[in-house]
Amino acid sequence: MTEVVAIRELLDRFRNGDRQALNRLVSLVSRGEALEEVRVELSGIKHDARLIALTGNSGVGKSTLVGQLIEHIRSQGETVAVLACDPESVLTGGALLGDRVRMSAHAGDVGVWVRSLATTSGRQSVTAHLDLAAQLLAQYGFDHVILETVGAGQGDVAVDAIADVVVLLIQPEIGDELQWEKAGVLEVADVVVVHKGDLPGAAQTETQARELLNLPGCEETPVVRVSSKTKEGIAELWELLADLPSRQRVSSRDTRRLLRLVQEYIADQFAAWPEDMNSVAEDWAAGKLTDADAVQRILAHVVD
Amino acid sequence: MSHLTRAPRIVLAKVGLDGHDRGVKVVARGLRDAGCHVIYAGLWQQPEAVVQTVGDEDADWLGISILSGAHMTLVPRIMELLEAAGLEHVQVLLGGIIPDDDVPKLQELGVARVFGPGTSIPEIAKFVGAVGEPSDD
Ligand SMILES: Nc1nc2c(ncn2[C@@H]2O[C@H](COP(=O)(O)OP(=O)(O)O)[C@@H](O)[C@H]2O)c(=O)[nH]1
Ligand SMILES: [Mg+2]
Repeated sequence: MTEVVAIRELLDRFRNGDRQALNRLVSLVSRGEALEEVRVELSGIKHDARLIALTGNSGVGKSTLVGQLIEHIRSQGETVAVLACDPESVLTGGALLGDRVRMSAHAGDVGVWVRSLATTSGRQSVTAHLDLAAQLLAQYGFDHVILETVGAGQGDVAVDAIADVVVLLIQPEIGDELQWEKAGVLEVADVVVVHKGDLPGAAQTETQARELLNLPGCEETPVVRVSSKTKEGIAELWELLADLPSRQRVSSRDTRRLLRLVQEYIADQFAAWPEDMNSVAEDWAAGKLTDADAVQRILAHVVD
Repeated sequence: MSHLTRAPRIVLAKVGLDGHDRGVKVVARGLRDAGCHVIYAGLWQQPEAVVQTVGDEDADWLGISILSGAHMTLVPRIMELLEAAGLEHVQVLLGGIIPDDDVPKLQELGVARVFGPGTSIPEIAKFVGAVGEPSDD
């Protein structure tokens, strides 16, 4: 645990624009430390930076697109911070985080900040308390904050709750139907990017996306075709994102925030698998417990 | 698995002009399997870029690989920049082809350890205090 005095000193340095203080504070909050102090520091502060989340299956080209957006943003003289999340190995807790290689055209440029984060196994697709990290970056002075995360099932609820704009990436591929099912996050996407627009089949995927998303009577979700390879569509995408109204910022009394707190609490309880749950797991594996019963027993463990 | 102990964060970078990254990638995978959070920064990194990466990633370790023979100019520069950035707490590991005679000089500069060719991954993992089970994939 970091000492109170040390945190106060860090916050002082942060206020004075010390980048290493920012760096350490981001680490602390993403480990669930110093949360109160940072919340107090950021409360009542207004900044205009929006958190833009890029989500989509692994391999769809999120990091490459972020790299292109960095270039575009820098060419306009603005600065950008990126939080790149990748899951860590369930077995070893290790992680190989290589996203920044695809963003390295601007290596050594102080107007660009990139942090690679390993999301805890079994947790959500973003690390906990990432909203605070994003606010720290905005408060420090980055004009834009981008979050990269693999959308995986439940995790997207968290992306939805912390991001101002959610961009879902899909790519032309065979077995499109499957992609749509896995995508899952369609309903939370503010913009759908048909990425790798240089590949054959992109136009067809784009048409499919429009048909699927834009049901009569519903608000239209923009679909844009982008290629990070040819840079086609990058500037257009960025313009679209800039013009998009922010989704409702999750206020402190929002139900979604409450649900997220519950999720985080439960996830914290299972950060280490409690030994006395082994018998439940064994009985369940042996078919002696139904799924529902096993879940009930485990939840009972969290409650007391 | 327990997360009470925090995984060591290590930035691996290839500095200098040679374009081989097979070795670094093997080390990267090995350290991941040993439970480290490995941030691979890529080829052809400039000392300034490496140091910014180490800071922004809040790494505990920096592993640099230099095959070009320019270690006696690149390493002092990196150590200098780390200190200037207030990153003295970051431990530096060096890999590559380093003549024996240079090793004490590099350690004098603050390099924690020099790993020559043929160093086993478990040896490196043990040094950075990784706790997981090393595998040899
Ligand atoms: N053809 C094509 N390939 C791309 C494009 N963008 C990324 N890729 C490739 O897609 C692969 C995955 O990219 P990456 O950015 O790592 O995906 P991520 O896992 O979603 O972050 C890499 O091999 C990229 O070179 C694109 O616009 N067109
Ligand atoms: Mg990626």
